[in-house]
Amino acid sequence: MKALRKLLVSDIKQFFRERSALFWTFAFPIFFILIFGAVFSGGDNVTFNVGLTVEDNSPAAQQLSGALQQVSAFKLYMGNQSAELQALKDGDRGAVIIVPSGFGQAVSQGGKATVDVYYDPTQSSSAQVLLPIITQILERFGQPAPIINVNPVTLQTHEIRAIDYLTPGILAMAIMQLGIFAAMPLVVQRENRVLKRLGATPVRRSTMILSTVLFRLIIAIGQAALIIIVSKLVFHVPMLGNWFFLAGMVILGALTFLTMGFMISAFAKTQESAMPLLMMVQFPMMFLSGIFFPIEMMPGFMRPIMDAMPLTYLADSIRQIMVQSSALHTHLINVGVLVGWFAVCLVVAVRFFKWE
Amino acid sequence: MSAVIEVEKLHKSYGEIKAVNNISFTVAQGEIFGMLGPNGAGKTTTMEIVEGLRPADSGSVSVLGMDIKQRSRRIKGSIGVQLQTTTLYPRLKVHEVLDLFGSFFLKAVSPEEIIKLVGLEDSTNKLCINLSGGQQQRLSIGLALVNDPQILFLDEPTSGLDPQARHNIWDLIKLQKEKGKTVFLTTHYMEEAERLCERVAIIDHGEIIATDRPDRLVSQHFNEEAIEFQLDRPLGDEVLRQLAGATNVVMENGGVTVYSKSVPVTISALMDMAKQSDMKLTDLYVRRATLEDVFLKLTGRRIRD
Repeated sequence: MKALRKLLVSDIKQFFRERSALFWTFAFPIFFILIFGAVFSGGDNVTFNVGLTVEDNSPAAQQLSGALQQVSAFKLYMGNQSAELQALKDGDRGAVIIVPSGFGQAVSQGGKATVDVYYDPTQSSSAQVLLPIITQILERFGQPAPIINVNPVTLQTHEIRAIDYLTPGILAMAIMQLGIFAAMPLVVQRENRVLKRLGATPVRRSTMILSTVLFRLIIAIGQAALIIIVSKLVFHVPMLGNWFFLAGMVILGALTFLTMGFMISAFAKTQESAMPLLMMVQFPMMFLSGIFFPIEMMPGFMRPIMDAMPLTYLADSIRQIMVQSSALHTHLINVGVLVGWFAVCLVVAVRFFKWE
Repeated sequence: MSAVIEVEKLHKSYGEIKAVNNISFTVAQGEIFGMLGPNGAGKTTTMEIVEGLRPADSGSVSVLGMDIKQRSRRIKGSIGVQLQTTTLYPRLKVHEVLDLFGSFFLKAVSPEEIIKLVGLEDSTNKLCINLSGGQQQRLSIGLALVNDPQILFLDEPTSGLDPQARHNIWDLIKLQKEKGKTVFLTTHYMEEAERLCERVAIIDHGEIIATDRPDRLVSQHFNEEAIEFQLDRPLGDEVLRQLAGATNVVMENGGVTVYSKSVPVTISALMDMAKQSDMKLTDLYVRRATLEDVFLKLTGRRIRD
């Protein structure tokens, strides 16, 4: 136990003292997101497309609609309820405000007026702006506490922005790199006979492996958190799903690619031979796993390759969890494929790995 | 004195190459035992088998009375090992590496004590990557001492060090012997074997060709002294062999060694010969025979690094 703790702490210390490792692990994926985010996102995020349906003819309702038109942040579309809701579902509206019949009556009688607001939960920032504005306007009518029914609407043909699509993919890619590049220190330590030197002490090999695995998992979770936070702060990329589910996928992905890293280290004798091997694994996965472009955009003959890449499945699941993108596969299939890769890599690594 | 290491009929082959060929020896409690031989002679392989790092093809090894095949982990707890390595953890500080290695053993000496023992007080907080070669080697020996081992294994402990650093390491090793530890080391430095080891096994091509105290090895094989010089032209050794008092002649790259039982007689004969044939002798000097000469006599080659 003591040995495991010390090995883990040593791994972490060495990692944070190695600037290039820090760069590739933390700065590199963030650069990717910042650069792609800047390229893809237009500068017109300031105005929201807001649909307005007024089903009430009272002066109060007209006043409200007039007040909403004054809000410069809104581009207002008037239409009937079904048309506006459809537009919301198609991603053409950030939110739809519905003033139901009976609104004016409630206001004039000093009762509680009701307004329904439908919004796209992936654009939670628009709702955050919208709700206080509506509340403010309604308060101007002397309404003590207007009732606003807030209805998040899951979009059918969810219009995912490029950055929303990209961020979960970059996250998956970062986990892949962290995992397979675990091969590098292993090869170096074998080459420099560190593994052998440790073998001359009573410390168990299982302890050595466990410390490496725990170390990489901790870094993977830190990396994921950083990517999610930065993309949220800078580009408002949402995290819609369950945090525990996401953490689970991050850990499963890290374990799968870590085992792949162990497997690669079994076939590389020197640092110089490890590098090209890692590149041969890394680059096809980066570009053929639908990280940067949806898989549908790639030519059909490449599909079989893409379908074989474990990163395709990890990215797909993380994308579904974070931004509710349309699924390539069910989570069950994604998890199954990752577990399968994990098992294969593990068997090969155990069979061929040499300590010296 | 009881034996703490007993090796019998050890064999280890890599393909066609017999790295270790029927080696047997014992190391007694409290002695400094050295294995001397050129690179590739099988020293390191033998040592690593004894440490439990490699399996032997056949033969038996017992360390501290325990069979290495059955009690390897237990033995590793009671021995200290220094391998020929570069920096183990470039980005850990000296005291951190010592602390880490200490955690691998049931009982460990504190990093501070080890640092004092190997004289790294000024480098405690240095990253290992910033240590000099000599300091690295001290740390490496320090790491072998963290569990206060009964036997210390040192593989080429002064390889690549300057003379100053080498002498420091020798003092460190002698200190360990004074503390009652047994030391088993390999070396390809004659001087190291002669000055440090109480007993030496000379090893070549995977076989031990002689084992004894260094002075006895020399006196057993030589009661003559060596006259060395450089010649300005090639010369058949049969001419030199006929010099008065000469017992043996070895020529190598223009360098000549004439072994003589009576140095003054041989030298004056040599001078006469040089004058007659107008030959130029340079770098002439006389020395007593060393382990180098023993090795040369037994194998026909020199140990060179």
